[in-house]
Amino acid sequence: MAEKFDNLEEHLEKFIENIRQLGIIVSDFQPSSQAGLNQKLNLMISGLQDIEKCRQQLHEINVPLEVFEYIDQGRNPQLYTKECLERALARNEQVKGKIDTMTVRDSPRVTEIPLQ
Amino acid sequence: MTEMFSTLFGQNEAQGPPGSSSLGFGPGKPPPPLPQNQASMTGQMPPQLGDEGPALRKPGAMNEPFYLLRELPVGNELTGNTNLITHYNLEHAYNKFCGKKVKEKLSNFLPELPGMIDCPGAQEGSSLRSLIDKPPVCGNSFSPLTGALLTGFRLHTGPLPEQYRLMHIQPPKKKSKHKHKHHRQQDPLPQETPSDTDPKKKKKKRDDDPDRKKKKKDKKKKKNRHSPDHPGLAGSQPNSNSLR
Repeated sequence: MAEKFDNLEEHLEKFIENIRQLGIIVSDFQPSSQAGLNQKLNLMISGLQDIEKCRQQLHEINVPLEVFEYIDQGRNPQLYTKECLERALARNEQVKGKIDTMTVRDSPRVTEIPLQ
Repeated sequence: MTEMFSTLFGQNEAQGPPGSSSLGFGPGKPPPPLPQNQASMTGQMPPQLGDEGPALRKPGAMNEPFYLLRELPVGNELTGNTNLITHYNLEHAYNKFCGKKVKEKLSNFLPELPGMIDCPGAQEGSSLRSLIDKPPVCGNSFSPLTGALLTGFRLHTGPLPEQYRLMHIQPPKKKSKHKHKHHRQQDPLPQETPSDTDPKKKKKKRDDDPDRKKKKKDKKKKKNRHSPDHPGLAGSQPNSNSLR
């Protein structure tokens, strides 16, 4: 499972690095850079092919939509995990409190109720 | 007779109560006549049914001590009374995310990514939400560019226009102020040198220099205004030669 993510991560990093170098070539273009530009463009297409192959291995993985909101706002997605855990713990404590108040242990009233 | 009555108990039960007509069981409808074979079988059925309960009744109604009192829900061993984080072995994850301080920015999660990634994606039109709302066209295969297609990528020489230059520039990394504070605290103690070498006073001098320059310039301007050689004063002040 982790290998699939590592594989995709590696391909994405290479792709992004290739795009970055392409941007540097284009920022101050010279006629001698044309061959390198063509090579980078074909590398970009092969990178997209590799990412497409990785997609088939990860089609069962579900990502919550709320994580996308964090990323779109420029926030760390680990904050979403942190908030989920904190909310789960708070809710767990709340329910435990309700159970503790509702349970009647060794109460004299229970023994006094006559069963007909 | 009693055997027939018990076998028909399930049908007659629905017909007995007066409100059962709404269920489609007419109060006046006679029970359907059973063939003799089934009748003989039903004669043998009751003792067998007595062991299992009346089979003609609904399964949920079998355990009804009182009318309409259904079975209580089966108790679940896992309730909110237990610590669910330890139950699902999430202690490590909890300590990792909630024990330590998680940094706010996206660049702290992806430090190797180039560009300004902390900005909201909606500003540049590159948000993930737009990708979900308007998914791109998929299914086409990726084929490498041929020579004829690459002719479209022949660019003009020279630098990019200014509006497109900022795309690959990374934001400057801010140095933490605490480090400077430590240096400031450490430096003056061991050195004990004259005031010129003190970093605080050096910085003060640097800060004062532009202010000093401005003040000097202002002073020079004032001096020049009041001096007789200043060209601006030739028109304003009366010429001593003309008066003579």
